[in-house]
Amino acid sequence: MPYMKEEKTVIKVFVIMFIIGAFLGAMLMLANRFLAVKEDKRQEKALEMLPGYNCGACGYPGCSGMIAALLSGETDTLQCAPSTPEQRQAIVDYLNSEEGPDGEKLNIRSI
Amino acid sequence: MKLLSLALAAILVNNVVLTKYLGLCPFFGVSRNFRSAIGMGLAVTFVIFGASLITYFLYYLILLPNGMEYLRLITFILVIASFVQLTEMFIKKYSASLYKTLGIYLPLITTNCVVLYVAQENITMKYTLLETCVNSLAVPAGYMLVLVLFACMRERLEGADTPRAWKGVPIALITAALMAMAFSGLAGII
Repeated sequence: MPYMKEEKTVIKVFVIMFIIGAFLGAMLMLANRFLAVKEDKRQEKALEMLPGYNCGACGYPGCSGMIAALLSGETDTLQCAPSTPEQRQAIVDYLNSEEGPDGEKLNIRSI
Repeated sequence: MKLLSLALAAILVNNVVLTKYLGLCPFFGVSRNFRSAIGMGLAVTFVIFGASLITYFLYYLILLPNGMEYLRLITFILVIASFVQLTEMFIKKYSASLYKTLGIYLPLITTNCVVLYVAQENITMKYTLLETCVNSLAVPAGYMLVLVLFACMRERLEGADTPRAWKGVPIALITAALMAMAFSGLAGII
């Protein structure tokens, strides 16, 4: 019966894709556990509040580059063209209110 | 000789940015200064070379023998994204200085169409392993060349007396168009 053969192919494809996906997922999970680096906790939180397009329109390499520049004091202006003014204000408020590891607060503004 | 013409074609004649219009986002985003253009170029080269080799073996060892050629696109995206993520974590952990120059550009490349384009081209053009290596080094070399040239031009443009309405990205787009026209003059050399 020909449809039996097709069924088998579909199942095989599912299994192979599942194995590839599971393998990659497991690799990333292990890497996340063993290769974790301590970061400024503000970095991650502020990064989640950005749109995450990594468009580079701010002139920094990706969204994390923008946040890193703000945290290191390289710039005091949050530039993010794709986000709305409210989103930008939320990030500015958060970063201005949260203390860094050295106990100091930032003083930044939005475009 | 064939490899040399393949490399020259990928770098100059079929330049990904100026003739295929791929990877324009970092092309305009990260070309404001010379240093970040170099960093981005190196990161792109590394990712494309690694991703091309992995997808090449994945296609010929797993997908093709099982008759799964039609799932090429989705598996390639999956593998490229994981590969880039893994590389970023690895560099971050073991080399802080390399991470500073290379690593921050990696998330920017994950979804960059150039990477997928090269991986796909290696398969559709039926390149051998050696040709795959040459192609996946030559394409990012062309990308880096154009990116660095463009960054140098934009650094000069900052100080130039452009009309106010054209400052920034508009004049950059015009510059890119003029560069594309200049590069189209190289079309006859191969």
